[in-house]
Amino acid sequence: MNMVEDTPPKEENLMTVIDKLQEDDIAVNKHLDHILSKHCHVEAKLQSISKILPNIAIVRLEAEKFQNVIGHTNNLAEKVSAKVRQLDLARSRVCECQSRVNDILDLQLCSDGVATALRNEDYEQGAAHVHRFLLMDQQLLERTADNVSGDHTSVTSSLANLQQAANELRAVITHKFDEAVKSEDLASIERFFKVFPLLGMHNDGITKFCHYLCSKLQETAQKNLKAALDVRSTDKRSAVIFADTITMLFEGIARIIEVHQPIVETYYGPGKLLSCIGILQKECDKQIKKVISEFTKHRKIAKRVQLINEYLRKQGGTERVDPKDLDLVLSEITIMHIRAELYIKFLRRRIINDLEISTTDTQQRKDLLNDFEMIIKNSELACSMQELLGAYLAVEKYFMEESVNKAIGMDALDQDQQTSSMVDDAFFIVKKCIRRAISSGSIDGVCAVINMACGFLESDFTNQLRNRLRQGYPAGYLDLAQAYNALQTSIQHGRIQTSDTELARLMFLAYLNNTEVSIEYVETLNKSLSIDIDQAFQNMQTKEKGKIESCLAGMKNVALTLRTVVDYGLEQLRVSTVKPRITPWIDAFLAINHQINDDELLRYETDEPFVQSLVTNLEGFLQGFKNSLTEPNYNALIGILTAEVAARLEKVILKSTFNRNGGLILDKEIRSLASYLASATSWSVRDKFARLMQITTILSVEKIEELADYCEDSIAWRLTPAEVRKILTLRTDFRQEDIKRLKI
Amino acid sequence: MKGLRTSIIQEKKRTEFVIMEDYKFLFKVVLVGNAGVGKTCLVRRFTQGLFPPGQGATIGVDFMIKTVEVENEIVKLQIWDTAGQERFRSITQSYYRSAHALILVYDISCQPTFDCLPDWLREIEEYASNKVLRILVGNKIDREDREIPTHVGEDFAQRHGMYFLETSAKEAENVERLFMEIAAELMEQARCKELPRYEQNTTSLNGKTTSIGDAGICGCSRLS
Ligand SMILES: Nc1nc2c(ncn2[C@@H]2O[C@H](COP(=O)(O)OP(=O)(O)O)[C@@H](O)[C@H]2O)c(=O)[nH]1
Ligand SMILES: [Mg+2]
Repeated sequence: MNMVEDTPPKEENLMTVIDKLQEDDIAVNKHLDHILSKHCHVEAKLQSISKILPNIAIVRLEAEKFQNVIGHTNNLAEKVSAKVRQLDLARSRVCECQSRVNDILDLQLCSDGVATALRNEDYEQGAAHVHRFLLMDQQLLERTADNVSGDHTSVTSSLANLQQAANELRAVITHKFDEAVKSEDLASIERFFKVFPLLGMHNDGITKFCHYLCSKLQETAQKNLKAALDVRSTDKRSAVIFADTITMLFEGIARIIEVHQPIVETYYGPGKLLSCIGILQKECDKQIKKVISEFTKHRKIAKRVQLINEYLRKQGGTERVDPKDLDLVLSEITIMHIRAELYIKFLRRRIINDLEISTTDTQQRKDLLNDFEMIIKNSELACSMQELLGAYLAVEKYFMEESVNKAIGMDALDQDQQTSSMVDDAFFIVKKCIRRAISSGSIDGVCAVINMACGFLESDFTNQLRNRLRQGYPAGYLDLAQAYNALQTSIQHGRIQTSDTELARLMFLAYLNNTEVSIEYVETLNKSLSIDIDQAFQNMQTKEKGKIESCLAGMKNVALTLRTVVDYGLEQLRVSTVKPRITPWIDAFLAINHQINDDELLRYETDEPFVQSLVTNLEGFLQGFKNSLTEPNYNALIGILTAEVAARLEKVILKSTFNRNGGLILDKEIRSLASYLASATSWSVRDKFARLMQITTILSVEKIEELADYCEDSIAWRLTPAEVRKILTLRTDFRQEDIKRLKI
Repeated sequence: MKGLRTSIIQEKKRTEFVIMEDYKFLFKVVLVGNAGVGKTCLVRRFTQGLFPPGQGATIGVDFMIKTVEVENEIVKLQIWDTAGQERFRSITQSYYRSAHALILVYDISCQPTFDCLPDWLREIEEYASNKVLRILVGNKIDREDREIPTHVGEDFAQRHGMYFLETSAKEAENVERLFMEIAAELMEQARCKELPRYEQNTTSLNGKTTSIGDAGICGCSRLS
């Protein structure tokens, strides 16, 4: 159809238009047929619908009925539940009423009962009545009384009665408790202590009771202190008597808490320990102050610290304290300190347990624990211990330094020892001091003593070693065995006969060893302290660990400083002995003819006169040191010797001239020298001989051209091309032009 | 699969460890001065970025570490915060000797803390290395009731060869700068002379006295 409209009917396309129209006609007819064929079907559908129609009306009717029923039921249900609610309310009112009636009845009962109890001095009974009364809602009772006008007077009077009775009872109990305390009637004290909470006087009860406990504490503490002051100096506890006294004080408090906490918890409920400790700690503080003050006086702490400070400032002169006299007092202070730490730990543990039972609120727990920490932090005890620690550190420092100085002063050298006595003594003392600090239980104390030890070792102690070495090693030939004998006989005969030089040599070597051994000792000390500290302070916090580590790291600096002193001593040895001794031995090389004919060469096959006598000399030289130096020092000496020999040999070789035979012999001799030195030490000498070996290689070539091959093998040359050329000129059989022509 | 995971985790841990220990310079900085001048607050401000409310007085010494970067180098600052009270003196003194820098703090609103400075200097003279870097700090400049004018502090510092800076831990004023410049200065010193060691006079073999660790003077002065 569209086509028809689209194409305008023109004469030319008329035929096609007609064709199109016919086609459309057919299609329309087909469509109509199809619609007509459906007629039947539609008719049937309509019929069945008209049949169903009446049914629908019925359904609708039924549905409406049903809706009514539901609405009805709903109403009913609501009515019922309202009733139930009402009932519920009524019942709870009845209950309340009942309890009020009970209260009123009890009120009457309590009112009568309390009067009777008071008359009979049955305070527990009276307090029980008051306790019952206190549980009632008094305002409510009064209102009830107002409502029920008949009973009004009786209720109000009962209330007034009880109020009065309660107050009376409170006064009586307080009084009775105070009296019981005065007459030390323990049974009554406990009896009335239990009554306080019934009367709503928890705080009063705790305070009064704890004050009573404090008075007991004070009594015992005073007795103990007096006994301590009476102890004779011959008594075996006399040196630690103040530590004992302080320990007894702490144990006393601990026992009080252990014994009374269950009673408090039973009658007052959990969570009361903090207030108890708050009060007890005040008494503890008072007593501590007294003990410490006596301790300070009797052990002359202030005086000693002052003397020590004066002595250290003026570097001697004034009165000096013998470190030996301080040993005991230092131990006593550390005992006092660790006891205080243990006591505080005990309290903390108890508080944490108590808080765990009394509250589930973690924030509250934390706050209360913090309150405890503040009590301790601000306590006289903490302050006294800090002061004591301060004094301890000042004295310990002096003890360590003076004891070590004393040990250095009494230094002795035994024939069969490589080190003198001072080094073992010094490290024994230092270790002892740090371990004593560890036993005090204070991290800050340990850190401080470690710092002091590092400072002392790195300055004064190292200076002592260095000063000895600075005096130098007297040059000249030394027979150490002879020196020892001389030393020994002189000691035996009580006079110094041995020459000063020999003694100075012995002491120099001993101090070189002392220094070297000190490095080892410092390293061992560092390790062992680390272990000791980990053991003594379990559960250290990361920060505390960091503190300790950082302070111990100071030991590494000590070792480094000592190392420079060892190097310094070895350098002394090199300049004063090694170098002057070996120079003539090696310079003998200059007197030897190195232009050797073939006949002579044969003789050298079996004989190496230069190196043989050199090795004998070196052997003799080393033998003198072998037993007097520690292994590391001895090895270092061989290292120095090797370097010196190599350097000197190079010098004399460069001053000599060779033919090929001479070069070959030299090469052989240098090799046997190197292997001798290598056998003398566990260290490698190859490196120190590398230049020398290359020189002898050059001197022993047959033709210059061989060297070009060596260069191609690209061995690591230790010689510059100029040096190679210079060495070649030592060969009298090479021509200058050939040497110049050599490409290297 | 599980093995792979754990090995990756271990790997990660190891690198973290390496990074943690991967510092070239470690400097010890010690703070001293009267109790209450704000030493702990300065340290907290620098290490934790906060001004702590009502913490108690420091007991003994406290110890913090902060790693900073100066000119692309990782510098570990070990900061020791000391208690000002006399009874802790034995503990705190023991840290002076190994300190690379000492910060002496007073409170600009409290004359007595300034008056005590000579006492502190005496202590420093007695116990610290004479090469230690010394910095005078006037703290609490946020306060209205200033008692020590800036130039008075400055004069004092100059007379005693110390660097000088005024700070407020509360308002974070100059705190970062204080520590960063200390780090930079110490690093420069370390570069100039391989770290100032403690005095070590050695007689060289020809009898002349040389002083190890005193190689030349550093013209580095960043704090001024
Ligand atoms: N206004 C003000 N108060 C400060 C500042 N720094 C510290 N404080 C206060 O000074 C008191 C002592 O600070 P603290 O750091 O404990 O002093 P420390 O004893 O030197 O460690 C605290 O109450 C701080 O809040 C500051 O920069 N400004
Ligand atoms: Mg502080």
